[in-house]
Amino acid sequence: METLEVQRVRGTLDAPPPDDGRLRALAGTLRDYFELSGYRGIDTPVIENLDLFLRKSGEEIAARMYAFTHWNRKLCLRPEFTASIMRAYVNQLQDRPLPVRVHYAGPTFRYEKPQRGRYRQFTQVGLECVGGAGPATDAEVLAAACGALEAVGLRRYRLVVGHLGAVLQLLEQLGIEEHGQALILNNMENLARRRADPSEVVGRVLAMMGFGGDRANDEHTDDGADSENGEPSLLPTLLAEFGSEGAAHLAGDLLGRANLVLEGGSRSAEEIVSRLVTKAGRLDPSDRVRQAAEFIVKLHTIAGPADEAFGALDRLLADHNLDRAPLREIERSLGLLGAYGVSPSEVTVDLSLGRGLRYYTGLVFELHHEGSPGLTSQVGGGGRYDDLVRALGGRDGVPACGFSFGLERLRLALEAEGIAEPAQPVVDVLVVPLTPDDEHYAARCAGRLRNAGLGVELDVRQRGVRANLRHADREGIALTVIVGERERDQGHVMLRDMRTREEVDIDVADLPDAARGRL
Amino acid sequence: MIAKNGRVSPRKLRVNGTTVPAMRLAVPSKGMEEQTLEFLAACGLKVNRPNPRQYRASIPALPGLEVLFQRANDIFSKVTEGSVDLGITGYDIVQEHRHEDDNVVVLNTGLGYGACVLVLAVPEGWIDVSSITDVAEISAELRGRGQDLRVATKYPNLSRQFLFDNGINYFTLVEASGALEAAPALGAADVIVDLVSSGVTLRENRLKRVSGGTIVESQACLIGNRTALRDNESKLTVARDMLELIEAQLRSREFFTLNGNIRGESPDAVARLVTRHSEVAGLRGPTISKVYPKVGGEEGWYAATVVVQSKLLLQAVETLRRAGASDVSVGKLQYVFESKSWSFEALKRQLHERPDEE
Repeated sequence: METLEVQRVRGTLDAPPPDDGRLRALAGTLRDYFELSGYRGIDTPVIENLDLFLRKSGEEIAARMYAFTHWNRKLCLRPEFTASIMRAYVNQLQDRPLPVRVHYAGPTFRYEKPQRGRYRQFTQVGLECVGGAGPATDAEVLAAACGALEAVGLRRYRLVVGHLGAVLQLLEQLGIEEHGQALILNNMENLARRRADPSEVVGRVLAMMGFGGDRANDEHTDDGADSENGEPSLLPTLLAEFGSEGAAHLAGDLLGRANLVLEGGSRSAEEIVSRLVTKAGRLDPSDRVRQAAEFIVKLHTIAGPADEAFGALDRLLADHNLDRAPLREIERSLGLLGAYGVSPSEVTVDLSLGRGLRYYTGLVFELHHEGSPGLTSQVGGGGRYDDLVRALGGRDGVPACGFSFGLERLRLALEAEGIAEPAQPVVDVLVVPLTPDDEHYAARCAGRLRNAGLGVELDVRQRGVRANLRHADREGIALTVIVGERERDQGHVMLRDMRTREEVDIDVADLPDAARGRL
Repeated sequence: MIAKNGRVSPRKLRVNGTTVPAMRLAVPSKGMEEQTLEFLAACGLKVNRPNPRQYRASIPALPGLEVLFQRANDIFSKVTEGSVDLGITGYDIVQEHRHEDDNVVVLNTGLGYGACVLVLAVPEGWIDVSSITDVAEISAELRGRGQDLRVATKYPNLSRQFLFDNGINYFTLVEASGALEAAPALGAADVIVDLVSSGVTLRENRLKRVSGGTIVESQACLIGNRTALRDNESKLTVARDMLELIEAQLRSREFFTLNGNIRGESPDAVARLVTRHSEVAGLRGPTISKVYPKVGGEEGWYAATVVVQSKLLLQAVETLRRAGASDVSVGKLQYVFESKSWSFEALKRQLHERPDEE
């Protein structure tokens, strides 16, 4: 019976040779560059407690995690590194002097629709600077990102810089409550770059805030769920006058007369009534949400090259009575970045950049490779998240900033540019034992060569001389060492140069030098 | 017998002296059993079950098709693993169990019976809760106290996705066996996700639906094994025959045929009277035929036949009356076939598309 082939999981990739070597070399080049910038390697587990990513990552990621319950514990495969690194920092690095500079590389997992350059298991390579504040750190991180791209040979790339400060200030000024703020921040990308219809986005956000008309009416609720229109009704307003306990009592009494019970399992009657009162007192946020959406769209329309955008952005923030500190931070960071000697082909300032993650608080950026027309691909991005350490149970006031590359995407960009893959280790010498009796001797020869730093492949299949020579030719192996009974007895080897086809019979002790001399 | 691809090849049956591969259709043995048999009979696919205690039966109209009675919950897995080729089960079950690599195609999403909705329901006493947004807020409040919103359900996959999609991140799914609706009252859960058809059970357990809380609208549906239908011509033929009959029968429910005798000078004149209201003048137009009078009967009568949408029945009757029809007879249709079977066309597309992947 033939057995069915097991297929790899959809949205994942195998990296057979030489792919794996190339990807590792690429990651290695990036990480070597990070080392040069003073960062040191860190690794964290692929599997984490689910809670870690629910705290600050935002809904967009939460809904796409590989989450599971294993023996009653809620776990997940990490969807990104930053939260893991911050957790590791809070767990065991808080005593180290700041800043703590770390770089990392490894697989991350998100359940998304697979596309070219987007896989469900993908590799992030990045760094975090924990405890670094202000434009000086932002510039260092930007420079490390740009510098690493240039180190792997990418010359044409665009840097987009934004700052959450502008939108956060506006949301605060509009008095939108936290849940609503989060929803709007989550939708920044949709509003700006994905050009979603603003009124549709506003409708969705309002619905999620409980103020959508369409959502309440789009289905029948035969158990009498009333549709909400955001206008305070009379009952809760009256109830509010009795204080929470009295209101609960009154509501319970009223419902009791109607043969209804005011009880809700884990929620007490007081709690239910007090929430009813609070809810009724809320104002319809429609106008404010709409204003926020318009602001975000406007921010995107006046985004542009750094030297041109600042004027318009300054005026827009001034018009809204917003502090222009975010712009000054970007200006200082970009000014410093110039001194680092990296040169993106284009720098755009776009304050509508949201990155779809909830934890960013300040400067954010993305690196794009302009591929074939109409197809731009983000190869990396990051930003500042000054609240994350605290949100994960660490000390107050530890600022942090970092970014990551998507390794597979970066590789696609390099391929599109026709940039040669980084050099890989190759096999220099093929060692061929003629008979099984020669295998001991052959293994010793291979050992000598390896100790001398040469790459050695040993024939373990008894292929025979001709097949081995053909194999060496095909694989581009420069030298072949053939050992048989005669060589073994004399302590010699036959060294063959595959290019010149010249063969020399030499003492095994001379083998490493002779081999190296011919490479 | 093991086929080359490692699957167990279907048993062969001999029917009328020719060998046809046995094809298997699984139908629900509990819950929807009676409705399913009625439905199939209405489609001209009456199930012949020698003994009501037997779990095997046949459909004389489709020789070579074996009918198996199985639990609705098991039918999806039987179809995906290929031990049966076709299955009738609830769409809610399909949605809960299907995944992107499964080997199941949905041949018809709505057979018109077994309707129910998968909803999230909360205790009636939560008078502050009217929409799913309120539930999201309560989950955040509970989280603040170090608790998760406990959701009792038999549909963990749909529930999880629905909760995440509505911004509810902190929840615990409580596996409930048996009386799910009682879980909140028993303190085992805060809310439930369950199937509702009439809403009575919810009310009896002092639970209520919330707006935005509908997860899946479900009814009985027909599913099939992708490989079996793609690689086996004769199975696909049986599936096509079933789909044709089902589709034509479902469509026929939307129409009535009306017949009225109308007096007029000529067929054309009668036709003009009938077509005055175009929406009730049949799918294409009326058929007018001469009524040959009995000996000594009146000349000049014509029979007008129209097929109209069910909702326009009374209007059509009125139109025929105004045209002078004395008696209007109305008949139900058994089938309405269109130029092709749309569900079969859709099936062919489904069979040959695979999830796109780089």
